[in-house]
Amino acid sequence: MNKFTNYMRSFFNGRHVVIGVPYLWFLMLALVPLLIVLKISVSEMESTSVSSMISWSEGWPAIKLNFASYVFIGSDELYVQTYLSSLKYALLTTVICLSIGYPFAYFMARAPKHLQPMLLMLIMLPFWTSFLLRIYAWKTLLVNNGVINNVLMSLGVIDAPMEMMNTPFSLMVGMVYSYLPFMILPLYANLSKLDMRYLEAAADLGASPFKAFWLITVPLSKAGIIAGSMLVFIPAVGEYVIPELLGGPDTLMIGRVLWDEFFSNNDWPMASAVAVVMILLIMLPMAIYNKYQSEQAELKS
Amino acid sequence: MAIAPKANIVREDLLRVEGVTKIFDGVVKAVDNVSLTVAIGEIFALLGGSGCGKSTLLRMLAGFEAPSKGKIFLAGEDITNLPPYQRPINMMFQSYALFPHLTVWENIAFGLRRDHMPKEQIVERVESMLSLVQLTKYAKRKPHQLSGGQQQRVALARSLAKRPKLLLLDEPLGALDKKLRETTQLELVNIIEEVGVTCVLVTHDQEEAMTMASRIAVMSEGYFLQVGSPDEIYEMPNSRQVADFIGNVNIFDGVVEEDESDHVTVRCNDCLHYVGHGISGNSGMSVGVALRPEKILLTKEKPTGEYNWCEGEVTEIAYFGAYTTYHLKLNSGKVIKAQELNNTRDLSCGLTWGDRAFAQWSDLAMVVLTQ
Amino acid sequence: MNTNMIKWFSQSWMVVVYIFLYMPIVTLVIFSFNDSQLVTVWSHASMRWYAALMNDSDLIAAVALSLKIAFFSALISVFFGVFTAFCLNRYKRFSGRTLLSSMATTPLVMPDVIVGLSLLLMLVSMQHWLGYPERGLFTILLGHALLGTAYATVVVTSRLREMDGKLDEAAMDLGCQPFQVFRLVTLPLLLPALVSAFLLTFTLSFDDVVLSSFLSGPGYSTMPMVIFSRARLGLNPTINAVATVTIVVVTFAVIASSFYTSHQERKRRREVAQAYSDTNK
Repeated sequence: MNKFTNYMRSFFNGRHVVIGVPYLWFLMLALVPLLIVLKISVSEMESTSVSSMISWSEGWPAIKLNFASYVFIGSDELYVQTYLSSLKYALLTTVICLSIGYPFAYFMARAPKHLQPMLLMLIMLPFWTSFLLRIYAWKTLLVNNGVINNVLMSLGVIDAPMEMMNTPFSLMVGMVYSYLPFMILPLYANLSKLDMRYLEAAADLGASPFKAFWLITVPLSKAGIIAGSMLVFIPAVGEYVIPELLGGPDTLMIGRVLWDEFFSNNDWPMASAVAVVMILLIMLPMAIYNKYQSEQAELKS
Repeated sequence: MAIAPKANIVREDLLRVEGVTKIFDGVVKAVDNVSLTVAIGEIFALLGGSGCGKSTLLRMLAGFEAPSKGKIFLAGEDITNLPPYQRPINMMFQSYALFPHLTVWENIAFGLRRDHMPKEQIVERVESMLSLVQLTKYAKRKPHQLSGGQQQRVALARSLAKRPKLLLLDEPLGALDKKLRETTQLELVNIIEEVGVTCVLVTHDQEEAMTMASRIAVMSEGYFLQVGSPDEIYEMPNSRQVADFIGNVNIFDGVVEEDESDHVTVRCNDCLHYVGHGISGNSGMSVGVALRPEKILLTKEKPTGEYNWCEGEVTEIAYFGAYTTYHLKLNSGKVIKAQELNNTRDLSCGLTWGDRAFAQWSDLAMVVLTQ
Repeated sequence: MNTNMIKWFSQSWMVVVYIFLYMPIVTLVIFSFNDSQLVTVWSHASMRWYAALMNDSDLIAAVALSLKIAFFSALISVFFGVFTAFCLNRYKRFSGRTLLSSMATTPLVMPDVIVGLSLLLMLVSMQHWLGYPERGLFTILLGHALLGTAYATVVVTSRLREMDGKLDEAAMDLGCQPFQVFRLVTLPLLLPALVSAFLLTFTLSFDDVVLSSFLSGPGYSTMPMVIFSRARLGLNPTINAVATVTIVVVTFAVIASSFYTSHQERKRRREVAQAYSDTNK
């Protein structure tokens, strides 16, 4: 019996340490910082630091909440516009990535088996090279005296350089370019697992290839479509680097507003409030996604 | 091989399980108040379909699950709460669980090293295990470089290396294809008998249980339906469930008419059974009469006796090579199966679809089932 | 549509997408050998910008800092990633499991700007109370390690999930205590996943600009920060040269490693086939 209690003690202690280490790590670096953002978003900015939320009056703590930043975000036309246009660009990026990436992933999954690892590696390879450098590369391609304009003009296709840089067009090129692999990979993973016998069965039962595609392939790849769309849409909403380098001053993205509030205006409560609203915006599709996933898990069990 | 020496050896219990119950999630009773004893040198099989609780029981013996209630004793010592790594019990896992990063040699030595056995002894033990399972020349290979049968023997050697008091076998032949299974079965039993280790084996395959085990426990829904030697279970099932689970059986529903100490008669729709042994029951009781298909003789001529025959129409014939199974539709609409040995090449009794035929059997062919 | 047309269409679709993916990279490399000060106008080939790179002490210092941070943050990420993945995978029930798993995915789904902002505000409050830490190498390392842990957790989890849980039980059955099981069975089998998690988190750290910008202090500029500040101002031929160097290094590494893994896989398959033909003789 003594042996047993020793064993139980060592086991439980070991287990607690094993769980405790990552728990503390993430509490300190993931949860607490978000709570601090929440706290600061309802504080007031004082000269160099943020006001304390709790003040002591006559020995009693008084909690002071300041919703000025939120009120400002809600009432200011510019903020509302920026959020909307962030969502619009993110949605557009997702749709374009899906319409390029779905056929691509489909063709890749149908390519000869021995070629597929190489095709896959060619999709992953750019991912391993610096994202920043690849965005910078688009800048050299798209500017007025850039490579594309120069080539087209020397070929005589156009007389004057096209205005591509610092427009919604250049922004979308950069976004689609960066996020396309994130769409293709889950779609490919899903489509390559599709059992060809389903399509054979559909053909056997009289469905044309197009009918079979719409009625069998697309519904069965729903999980891949949703996963890919989430992987593109969510980070696209908060993107900062691409609009900063390719978007020019007129394309409104919320990530840049947050950056400017923080670095240029030094307005921490405002930056925090912008962040909190952005988190809420992201949580909505996440919640839908999670609901979908747990429903799928339930269906399976 | 199938029947353990019973009478002439004094039984000495090695494993004793007392009223063990396992409840998952507070509601699901995977194992329900099970008690059993296993004698030294015995091969004991837990037989049942999936979800019957046999694997849970085995995992409790190994120490991977703690019983919710009850106790487990090994050689008189209470091991209920001992963790798996302190039990003198080793297991051969389903699909073997060989460590893929270690060679055959290292896999077998793995358990010995945990016991801090001196190096020379480890070498000696591993070599002897390798020769026992005839894999000496594969010692340097990794598991994926072996065939399924060889992997199975490595798993066996690994679980025997520590000379456990009790060896657990979890579906030992489940991962092998049918042809390999038969030869491996015999090989496995020979090795186990050579080592003399006591075994508890889990299987869903009745043939495997019958050929390997000296005693079988038939499990369903967490408890034992019947425990006994293979022939007892097959010839004397104690319930419809067991009769149905082990092999094929025809069950006639009927009522006891005559109840004597040396025989009973049971009246059914299609026939009258004269059973050549007494039962614990009384006349007027409704019972089932179990009759194995291979104990039925089919003829075209009407039998002369009063008892133990019935008449019907041949509706199905399935040829299995060694024997043929006929389906006979009786007058009441009941269908019974009869197996006829094909002991000549002209396919025996000459019956074909639609023929009228008579089935007959002896008065010791059937078992009366009261539950 | 006949099958030939479908084939033609699918192949050209793929080729166009690959051109789209590789065009910017190829242009970067080509123009890094351009002599002209104007990045986009070709004059003639030269190694001029590589020479300039050698004398660019800011950039070289930044590269050194980035390598240092990437190496250590990858180590830390793999360490905590193994812990997290192990907890989530092997302990099915403990209070706060959902919280741990959602905290571990937070850095993956949050935009970088929010992760950076929240970490910075936390560090500032910490400094306010404890007088520590100063912003610099350590704070950048912390941010990258947080992001890296989340990614490492995903990589290790997927490997743990496909690992046979029976192996742990077999080890325990043969006399291993829980920690020995981890050391002798789980860890050796995780090794390939640890290597890929290390490479992934190294790359993430080496590539990050947003977290670093939030978390760095005066005097600590990583390579992406330097490139970013130059790229914001306009086009700069030294960036092309840096890009070419990193692309060459990364491409070689990726190709070499994929050759190695496919070689291992082929060898393994050969051995399995051999084992089966041996026994069927």
